[in-house]
Amino acid sequence: MAKMREAEPVVEIGEMTAAVSRERVQKLSRDRRRVIGFNSLSLLLFVLLWEGSSRLLHSVFFPGPLVVSRTFVVLLVEGDIQGYTLPYHAYVSLYRVLLGFGAACLTAIPLGIILGLWRPVYFGTRVVSEPLRFIPPLAWIPMAILFFSGLGRYVFLIWVGVFFPLFILTMNGVSTASPTFVDVARVLGASRSFIALRIIIPNALPQIVGAMRAVMSPAWMCIVAAEMVAAELVGLGQLINNYATLLRMDIVIVGMISIGILGLLLNEAFMAVERTLFRYRQEVKV
Amino acid sequence: MLEYRNVHKSFDAGAGPLPVIKDFTMTIREGEFIVLLGPSGCGKSTLLRITAGLEPTSMGEVLIGGRPPDLRRRHRLGFVFQEPALMPWRDLVSNVTLGLEIRGVPKAERERQAGELLGLLGLKGFERYYPHQVSGGMKHRVAIARAYIVDPIILLMDEPFVALDAQTRESLQRDLQDLWQRRKKTVIFVTHNLEEAILIGTRIVVLSSRPATVLLDCKVELPMPRDPVSREFVALRQELRGLLV
Repeated sequence: MAKMREAEPVVEIGEMTAAVSRERVQKLSRDRRRVIGFNSLSLLLFVLLWEGSSRLLHSVFFPGPLVVSRTFVVLLVEGDIQGYTLPYHAYVSLYRVLLGFGAACLTAIPLGIILGLWRPVYFGTRVVSEPLRFIPPLAWIPMAILFFSGLGRYVFLIWVGVFFPLFILTMNGVSTASPTFVDVARVLGASRSFIALRIIIPNALPQIVGAMRAVMSPAWMCIVAAEMVAAELVGLGQLINNYATLLRMDIVIVGMISIGILGLLLNEAFMAVERTLFRYRQEVKV
Repeated sequence: MLEYRNVHKSFDAGAGPLPVIKDFTMTIREGEFIVLLGPSGCGKSTLLRITAGLEPTSMGEVLIGGRPPDLRRRHRLGFVFQEPALMPWRDLVSNVTLGLEIRGVPKAERERQAGELLGLLGLKGFERYYPHQVSGGMKHRVAIARAYIVDPIILLMDEPFVALDAQTRESLQRDLQDLWQRRKKTVIFVTHNLEEAILIGTRIVVLSSRPATVLLDCKVELPMPRDPVSREFVALRQELRGLLV
């Protein structure tokens, strides 16, 4: 008769999950290092490609990274012709973006939730909402110039660009709630308001926050466009526009890169918030 | 007492109505553990949903204690769905206490009751874990606890263990049996697994394929816990299998 294998030592389940999560953490830090490595590499490659092509083109309108980084430092420390530094330009634009974005969140998210819970209202108003949705934010600029001034104009234009995508994404998140969750709550005797507030909204929250992150990019698009047409002195869009007329492409590129970096930082910040709020979603993927 | 009187149900399926349940009549006494046994897609789940008040009947009526099911009356039903359907943003305790939360039971009391049930189901120490951190079998236990905590007069279970591996399934069947022995409920348990039916039911109702009608209704009087390799068990299984094919 074959000898029976000795029984495995009994491990407490709690300990086991602890061991599993330790392993997971190690794997995560390994993955993280790899991701950082690849990103450094692609950044380096990008800079090299840029430098190479600028040398090849040999045009004053296409400065390479070396020239641009010198300009970057000058703008950072001394500022532009009017004496506004780059951080100030960035701050002004960021302030405008966040105000417009905040206004859009305060309007689009509640409306998206309400219409997500009440789809018939959405389907009954589509003839108005759909055409409005398809008007590009830039087409609103004449109206914005006529009816708003200063900060209000920027806030309005960003709001116009962000409201619809945010509204649609929120509504979809809400209306695709798992029917079983709703059934579970209904059988337990939940009222409609309990189901809406405690089941459907928490269930849609990851999608809503994801939508907020996704619409940051149209928000930036709008601010730059809006700043370009307005007769103002500060703002990244304005910086780009002013120096484009002077053919100072190095400054234009600094403005472009600044927008890109700010966008990246905002995106990362949002993702960090999502990771802590919705840890349960994150770990499922790992 | 739970009564089905000539229940018919059909769904609108494009090309005319699709009959799912046909003239279903049955009376269930308090404390019975009914197993509804039938092929997949025969309308067992629909019958449970009708019992819970999640679907109306097309004809006939269901009476729970003499009254038709009505979700708004909070008539204390427990429903365990095929998938555990735990809410990922709630930890295990808050998943279990959902029904008490709906009834406005104070938090301390909710958690005490949930802790007790989780203990009975072997989940002590996992109260603050989130669903994604526990195994499939544990999720099903939590789903059972969530249905049990409202002290239901009827517990409806829709193939709750179908997605589990054999071992987990067996231990859950045992624990459910245990829990039921301690806190007797009227249970309607749907499955298409004959062995499972004999293992846990006090009464087995065999349904035909769609539209569902009662083929066989028999009491199982073997003592609990049942031993699937005992002579009586095997004999009963053979007999039922014969009737099924």
